[in-house]
Amino acid sequence: MSRESDEAAQMWVEKYRPKTLDEVVNLKDVVESLKAFLKTPKTMPHLLFAGMPGTGKTSVALCIARQLLGSQWKTFTLELNASDERGIKMVRERIKDFSRYGRASFDIPYAIIILDESDQMTSTAQTALRRIIETSSRTCRFILVCNYSGKIIAPIQSRCAIFRFSKLADTDIVKHLGNISGRENITLLPDAAEAIAEYSGGDLRRAINALHTAAAYARDVVDVKTVLQVIGEASPKQVQLMLSEALGGDFIKARKMMYNLMGAFGLSGSDIVRQMNRELFKVSYLTEEEKAELANIIGEYDFRLTEGASPDIQLSALLARFRKFTKVKGQPIERRVNVG
Amino acid sequence: MKDESMWVEKYRPKRVAEVVGNERAKAAFVDWLRGSHWRKRGALLYGPPGVGKTTLVHAAASEYKLQIIEMNASDTRTEKSIDRIASPAVSFMALDRFSTNTEGSLLFLDEVDGIFGREDRGGIGAIVKIFRKESKKRENRKEIQGPQIPVVLAANDPDHRKLRPLRKVCQFIEFRVVDANLITALLKNICLKEQISVESGALERITQNCRGDVRSAIADLQALCGGSRVLRLEDTGRLSARNRTLLINETLKGIFSSKSPKETKTFLDNTILDYDELSLRVNDNLPLRYKDPVELSVAYDFLSKADIFRGRVGTENWKFLKYFYNLLAQATTVNPQSFRPFEFISFPTKVSTLFWTRGKRTTLDTICAKIGKRCHVSKRTAKFDFIPFVRAILKEQKSSPIGRWLQLDSSEVEFLRKMDQL
Repeated sequence: MSRESDEAAQMWVEKYRPKTLDEVVNLKDVVESLKAFLKTPKTMPHLLFAGMPGTGKTSVALCIARQLLGSQWKTFTLELNASDERGIKMVRERIKDFSRYGRASFDIPYAIIILDESDQMTSTAQTALRRIIETSSRTCRFILVCNYSGKIIAPIQSRCAIFRFSKLADTDIVKHLGNISGRENITLLPDAAEAIAEYSGGDLRRAINALHTAAAYARDVVDVKTVLQVIGEASPKQVQLMLSEALGGDFIKARKMMYNLMGAFGLSGSDIVRQMNRELFKVSYLTEEEKAELANIIGEYDFRLTEGASPDIQLSALLARFRKFTKVKGQPIERRVNVG
Repeated sequence: MKDESMWVEKYRPKRVAEVVGNERAKAAFVDWLRGSHWRKRGALLYGPPGVGKTTLVHAAASEYKLQIIEMNASDTRTEKSIDRIASPAVSFMALDRFSTNTEGSLLFLDEVDGIFGREDRGGIGAIVKIFRKESKKRENRKEIQGPQIPVVLAANDPDHRKLRPLRKVCQFIEFRVVDANLITALLKNICLKEQISVESGALERITQNCRGDVRSAIADLQALCGGSRVLRLEDTGRLSARNRTLLINETLKGIFSSKSPKETKTFLDNTILDYDELSLRVNDNLPLRYKDPVELSVAYDFLSKADIFRGRVGTENWKFLKYFYNLLAQATTVNPQSFRPFEFISFPTKVSTLFWTRGKRTTLDTICAKIGKRCHVSKRTAKFDFIPFVRAILKEQKSSPIGRWLQLDSSEVEFLRKMDQL
C-alpha cells in the first residue's frame, strides 16, 4: 500500500524515468550498443556519457546498473555527484574505498560507480581518478556522466568508451509528454505540448517538470495558457527584475537585488552572470544589435570574475555598465526633448 | 612668561574630575577601576584621538595612587614582548605597594589598534591571553583571581576587525568628541592662566577646527600664540588640517572629496582601513558618490580593475598592491566637480545581506540536497532545474504529496511556498 501511495507522490521525472534500456525514448544507436554489453557483462568497458542536460545520460546509467546488477543494484552502485563534492578528497576517500570493497557478492559481475557531472571535477581529482579506474577494473566499472567530454582529461577519456547523447527533437518530447499525460489521466492539448517542448529546448527533464507543474495548475485540461503561466512561475524573476532595473531603473536597487541573489539564493557570481546572459535575450525592448553588445559586456565581466577577488564588485561594475549603456543610448532622445 | 613647556602636558589633568567631557565614560571607567570588575575583564577605552582616553587613565592613576606600566605604539608589541612585560606585571603582586607610597600598579596598553603587520605579529593574541591565562591559574592558587592588576587598553576604532577578539575579554567604554563649548571654556581658562588676551571669536575658531579633539585644540592655541600675549582673530587663519590616522568615515570623506588621485592617496596612506576593507567600503558608497550613470560606470570600471589586481595579489604577490591603490584612487576621482557630501553606508551591504539571509540560504541548501538525493542530481541542478517547479507546484496545490516524497519537513514545504521566485 505504501508503495502505491509512494508512486503517486513521486516527482514525475522520477516516476517516468525509464527502468530498462528498452523504455528509453530515443538514442537508438547508443541503446543498441549498450544492450550488447548486458548480454556479456564482462566485456563492458568503462563508459563516458556526454551530452546536454535532460538527454537521458543519468537515466541510461541507472538502467545499466539496474539491469546488470538485478535486485541488489542499489547496494552495489555508488552514485556520486562531482558538482557537490568536487575535490580530490572525494576521489581518495569515497571512490577508492568503494572500488576496493564495493563488490561483496559473487552473483554480480562487478560493482558500478556512477560519477555524475564529472566534468565539474578539479583536474587534480581527475588525475587521482585515472589510476583508480585502471587498478579497479576487475571489481568495478565506472560510468562517467558529463556535459562536455572535453573537460575530462585525455588519460581518462582514453580509458572509456565514449557515448554522445544528442538533444531530443521537439517531436520526441511531444510524444513522450503525450504518453505521460495519458497515464496521468490529464488532457494535454497539442499546442500546449508544443509550447512545453519549445520551452524545454530539448531538455526532457525540464519538459516533464513543466508538464507536472502545469497539471498542478490546470487539474484536467492543460492548454497553452496554463503552460505560459507555468513558464512565468518558473522563470528567474529576480534576475529579470535586476536586469530591467539595471537597464532602465535605479542602480542601487539593482545592486540590492544582486546581493539578495547571492544571499538568499546562494548564487555564485558566475551563476548570476549566466542567468543574466540567458534572460538578456528574452528582453523584448532591446534590438538584436543591442543584445549582442550587452552580451559582450557580460562576457567581459564573466572573465573579470575569474580574475578578481570579490564577485560582488565585478557584478556591481557590470550593472553600472548596463546602466550607462541605456543612458548613452537614450541621450539623443533626451537632447531632442531639451532642444524642443 | 619664561615657561617653555608644552601646554598639553602642563595642563594635563591630575584628577579625574578635571578631565573635560565624556562624563559617562569617566563614570564607567572609575566604576570599573574601583570595583572588582577589573579582576575579570579589561577595559578598552575607544574613541577619536585627543578626547582624553590616555589623560583619563593617567589622571585616575595619580588620583588613586597607581603606578602605570605603559606600552604604546612606540614599543614593539609582538606576542613575545607583550608576554615579557605584561605577563609578569599582571601575574604577581606589585612589590611597589610595599616599597613606595603607591597603592599598586596598572597596566596600560595604549593605541592597541596600532598593533599591526609583521612587526607586531601575535600582539592581540597575547593581550587576549593575559585574561585567559589568569583564569586558568585560578584552579591552582586559591587567592589569585584574574589579572592581579587592572589592565586598560585604548584604541581609536572599535570596529576594526583586528580588535574583535578583545570583545570577549574587555569592557568597551566609548569616548566621544568633546563638546565645543567645553573646549572653548578650557582654552579660555588656559589663556587666563597664561595671561593672554584674546579677541572674541578666536577661541571658537580654534575649537571649530579641532572637531572635538581637545589635545589638538590646546596645541593649536599654543602654536598660534607663539609666545605673544595677544591672540587676534586673524591669527586663526594659520590653522591647518591635521595629519593623523583616519577613521573609517574620515577616510571615506577624504577619498570621495579628493580633487585628484594624488590627493586620494594621501588619505589612503593614513587610513586605518586595510585594502580589503577599503574596497568593501568604496564599493558600497560608490553609487552614492556618483549619481550620474556614466560617471558611476567609469568609476566602477576602475574599481573592477583594482579588484582584479587584488585577485592577482592573492596571498603573496604584494608588489601588485600598488596598482590596486592607484586604481582605487582613480575610481574615487572620476569627476571631482560632482562631489556633494552624502551620508556613508555605515554597515557594509554585502556583510549585512549575507548575515540576514543566512537562514534562507542554508534552508534552501538543505532542500536542494534532499531533492538531489531523491532525483539523482546535484544540489546545483536541483536549485536551477527543480526548485522553480517544486515551488510552483507546492504553491498551487496545497495537498500535493511531492513534499512528502522529497522528504521535506513541513517547515521546508512552507519555506518553498513562501519563497520568492528566483
